[in-house]
Formats: sequence, structure tokens, C-alpha cells
Amino acid sequence: MQHLPLVHDINLFLDDKPSVYGLRQKAKQALEKTNYPTLKTEAWKYTNIKPILSGDFIYNTEEHQCSDNCCHHDENNNKIEVTFCDGKLHIEEYNLPKGLYIKSLPEILYEGECKQYLFNSFNLEEHPFAALNGVYLEQGICIYAEKETQINEPIYIKYKQTKSQNSLINIHNLIILEKDAHLEIFEQAYSDQNNKYLTNIVNEIYLKPNSQLNHYKKQTESISGYHITLNSIKLQSNAAYKQYYMANGAKICRQETNIQLEQKGASAEVYSVYMAKKDCLNDITTNINHLQPETYSNQYAKAVLETNSSSAFQGKIHIAPQAIKTEGHQLHKALYLNDNAELNCKPKLEIFADDVKCSHGASCGEIDKEQLFYLTSRGIEKEDAIKMLTQAHLDEIISLIPNDEVKKEFSF
Amino acid sequence: MTTPLLEIKDLHARVEDKEIIKGLNLTINAGEVHAIMGPNGAGKSSLSYVLSGKDGYKVTSGSVKFKGQDLLTMTTEERARNGLFLSMQYPIEIPGVVVSNFLKQSLNSILKHRGEKELDTIEFMKLLRQKASQLNISSEMLKRFVNVGFSGGEKKRFETLQMALLKPDFCILDEIDSGLDIDALKTVSEGVNSLRTPDNAFLVITHYQRLLDHIKPDVVHIFADGHIIKSGNKTLATELEKSGYTDFLKEE
Repeated sequence: MQHLPLVHDINLFLDDKPSVYGLRQKAKQALEKTNYPTLKTEAWKYTNIKPILSGDFIYNTEEHQCSDNCCHHDENNNKIEVTFCDGKLHIEEYNLPKGLYIKSLPEILYEGECKQYLFNSFNLEEHPFAALNGVYLEQGICIYAEKETQINEPIYIKYKQTKSQNSLINIHNLIILEKDAHLEIFEQAYSDQNNKYLTNIVNEIYLKPNSQLNHYKKQTESISGYHITLNSIKLQSNAAYKQYYMANGAKICRQETNIQLEQKGASAEVYSVYMAKKDCLNDITTNINHLQPETYSNQYAKAVLETNSSSAFQGKIHIAPQAIKTEGHQLHKALYLNDNAELNCKPKLEIFADDVKCSHGASCGEIDKEQLFYLTSRGIEKEDAIKMLTQAHLDEIISLIPNDEVKKEFSF
Repeated sequence: MTTPLLEIKDLHARVEDKEIIKGLNLTINAGEVHAIMGPNGAGKSSLSYVLSGKDGYKVTSGSVKFKGQDLLTMTTEERARNGLFLSMQYPIEIPGVVVSNFLKQSLNSILKHRGEKELDTIEFMKLLRQKASQLNISSEMLKRFVNVGFSGGEKKRFETLQMALLKPDFCILDEIDSGLDIDALKTVSEGVNSLRTPDNAFLVITHYQRLLDHIKPDVVHIFADGHIIKSGNKTLATELEKSGYTDFLKEE
């Protein structure tokens, strides 16, 4: 039996429960079968994960102990907030609005509720890191909105790194919106120091008819840290999913979003802004499956590429034969600060239906010299002027964010 | 003897391999308005870029002193902070940068350089609205992106607003009359005239004598082939307008 990196033989909470143990074993078997991707794996051809596999990351089985200020919850803070401190869920009692339920993953696993939703939105064998996440299935939350529950402020999910060194962090969240429910979630992944760890998140999201989810995410990980996320979303008729993603950190970061537009009228919009940092790699991969008629999708990303940065943007739009009158768009615009930056844009359109509207595009340019001259000729420091112009480039997407509070958080 | 505000001596400059300024001499004192007139392609706009230090405009010989200091060793932003302002013929559109944010950053970097107190948002907006209303600039325009979707007149009024805010010692107005109708020309000219003090000076670049009816120059220079071929008072502009550049240059 070959040794799989990052898979260690340890006992987890609820291993004694056959149904839970079975899930973990199923994930392990999938990973053993497929192994980790290499640069020859089509979906990972631009993202070399060797540094992650050789990173000696260890899963910490100890429960989280709250120290002085960590996890401190301000009593005047009325926000709905869930915090994972160094990968461990910090449990608090909340007075949640009517129709909204937030439970820890072990509760879900123990009671067997929502089990129909676990590993049900994607194929484990196609997602090795999600399979790795399943091997350690223990940390996570389930957010459940009853039908017609409408909450217009974000539920914050914070992944905070304080002292973790070489930690392997796996978090699995379920988000379920019943008919006509409207919700906003805001994930924030960050570290307050330059530490090394791997955060591996899986979000399974189920949107029932006419439900709407605004999904915000701000990734400002340590630039020695690694971050991998799989968002897997299934949408029923006329459900709407909107993702606004900002990345400004991590040595290697991959944000993969897989969307199944399963019923008529479902729509998905994925907006991304990122700063590709020096000596770092940023990967945004999106797969959208239009399975039924009159479905809509739009992917739009804007990037600023620093010197010696690497980035990948892969966007796939698949339109099934019966999915007539659908629309799928994809666009990536990058601004590079000098010549030494690498960007791989790979659009992939698979269209098997007639009567559809699809588009894709990519552009890459330098800072406009005339604009730079105009700003500096008004006394503005060159560095500040460059910052204004890069921010302006990204602002086109940031301005689309419907929530002002979130919009303020999307600053570079 | 007082130091001239601007003193250009035997200036030669080029863009790539082309010589565009060929032995220019020009002295401008505080309180004066100078006009430069000349045919298309004579190098008038190039002169304004050389003075503001634009990338690609290379001085090969000669000197430029600004308030007694060597202007040519300064970066573009240093020149601006020291009191040089170029009102551009074609102000640049900057999508995504909001007018008020741009002006605040610009003014504060100049105030900081002068050792004056920087303005907070409330103080700044108060000042901005006051200056804007004097130039018929609506508060709606201050929320727009810099020059984006501005009409020709709005662009030039916006350039004038910047001068009113930054209070430079020396302003180069590069064809501030282009793209203006008669009413807009009047507004902009009145704006410029209201900024004149005994301590500052203007260099007005134009094709047309019409502008000089509104902004009255003390000295008029005829600029052709990279240098000044004749200087005189305002009547020089009137003569030029009558004969046209071709005949005028032939007579010289």
C-alpha cells in the first residue's frame, strides 16, 4: 500500500459511529484510487501542488482551547458570526433569526440529519483535495434556511489562523436554502502572522426553487500559507447564486467552483478580484454546467499581477443538448505591473445545444502611462498613483457588490 | 534683481530620435502672462510635456530654472508639488478613479510638500464644493470618474478647478480653448483670470487670438520649428491672425 501524503492514521471524533466512519473511509478510498493531481492532470495543469504535498502538514486532533483573546466575542456585536480558530470550530450560542439554523458538523453527523447533502454535490474521485477533506471529516458547520426565510445581512464564517504551524486544516460546510429563502454568507480566511499551514475547505451548497444566495469570500491568508477550496453548488428552478471573491494572500491558493444549473431558470454569477503576489500562485477554476433551458451564468475576473507572480484562470461552460435559450459568459482582465508575471487563461466552452448565447474573453495590459502621467502631474506620488490605478481596475468588480459593508472589506 | 519664475536657456529636447525643441530661450516673471502661438506640429505641446517631465521627452542640452531651482532634475510629481501645473489639451480619462478622491489626494500631497496641514474629508469637501460652484461644476460631476464622459467644456472647467484648488505658481495652459463653445470659453477664461496674482504666472499655448481677448497676455511669442522666432506685445497676435502662419513665417 503506497503512502499518501497528508493522510495520517489517527482517530477522529465519532469514528466509533459506523455511518460516520464509513464516510471517511469512502473518501480515503477515493483518494487512494485517484491520488493527488499532477501537472498532467488537465484540471490542475497550471498549479503545481508539490510544495503542499511535501509540506509535512499534520492534523491536530486536540479540541480548541480558547485563550485570552482568541475567539473573544464582543457582546455588542450583533453580527451572526461563526469562527474557526486554527481550524477548530468555536462554538457559541446565538440568538438566530426565525427560520435560520446553524449547527456544527459533528451534530449533523451524530444525528444523521442533512446526511443526504454530504458528498452529494460532486464526485469524490474527481476532487482529490475534497476527498482529503473527507478523510478528516469532523470540522464544519451546516447552515439551514427554512422556506421563505430572508436575511439581508451576511452570516460571517471566519477561518482565523493564530498560532498554527504546519497545521492541516479541513473544514466541510453545508449550506441549504429551502424554497424562496434569501441568505448572504461572508467567508473570511486570514492569518495574523506569517505562518505556514494548509486550509482545505469544501462548501456544499444546495439552492431550492427561487432561493437566492450571495456568497462573499475574502482570502487574505499568510503568504507562507496554502489555501484550497471547493465550492460545489446545485441550483433548482429560478434559484440564483452570486459569488464575490477576493484573493490577496497565500503562497498557493486555488478556489474551485463547480455549479450545476439543474433546473429551468437557475442562474449563477461568479465575480473575482485578486492581487497575484510576488512568488505566489493564484488559481481560480470554475465549471458551470447548464443542464436545463433558460439558465444563465456569468464569470468575470479582474486581476493585478505583481512581479514574479503566477496565476491561472480556468473557466468551463458546459451546455447540455436540452439546455436551449441559455446564456453563459466568461471574461478575465489583468493588469501587470511589469513583464515578469505569468498568467494562464483557459476558457473552455462545450456547447451541445442550439439557440444559446455564449462569450469568452481575456485581456492583459500594462498600467496606462498617460493616466499615470496625469496623476503624477498633479503631485501624486508615483507609487500612490499606481495604487490608485490598480484599485480602479479592480473596482469595476467591487462596485457590483450589493452589500455596502462587504464592499468596504474588499480593499487591497 | 528678483529671480524669474521660469528661466529657459538654450533648451534642446527630443522624443525618440526626433529633435522637437531646438534652442529655446524664455524668461517668465511672477505676475506675467505669456502666450505662445504657432502652427501645428511646431512643438508647442511638446514644450509643455518637457517642462512637466513626461516620460519619453528627453532634454539633450540647455537649462530650465524654476524659482531658481533646477527643474530638469525633478520628477513629474516634484515639479507639481513645487508649483508647476499643466492644463492638458486632452485631459486623460481615468475610469474607476473618482474626481473627489483624486483631487483630495492631489491637494494633500501638495499641502504636505508645502508644510501645510492636510485636509480631512469634511474640510476638503467643503473647499471643493465652494471652488466647484464658482466654475459651475455640479456636485454630481465630483462623484464621477476623472474626465470619463465629460464634455469638452466640462474637461476644461475641471482643469481650471484643479488650478483653483492647488494654487500653482506657474500654469501652462495647453490649448485650453480647444473644444470650447463661446460660453464655456468665457467661463474658463474668467476662472483663469480670477486666479491671477502678482506672485504667479501663466503660459498660454493657443492657435487663436480669440482666447487672448479673454486672457490678456503681457508678451506674445511666435513659436515655430522648436523655438521662438519672434516676441512682442498683444498686437503681434492680431497681426498673426490677419496674415496666417504661412505668410507670417515667410516674411520672417
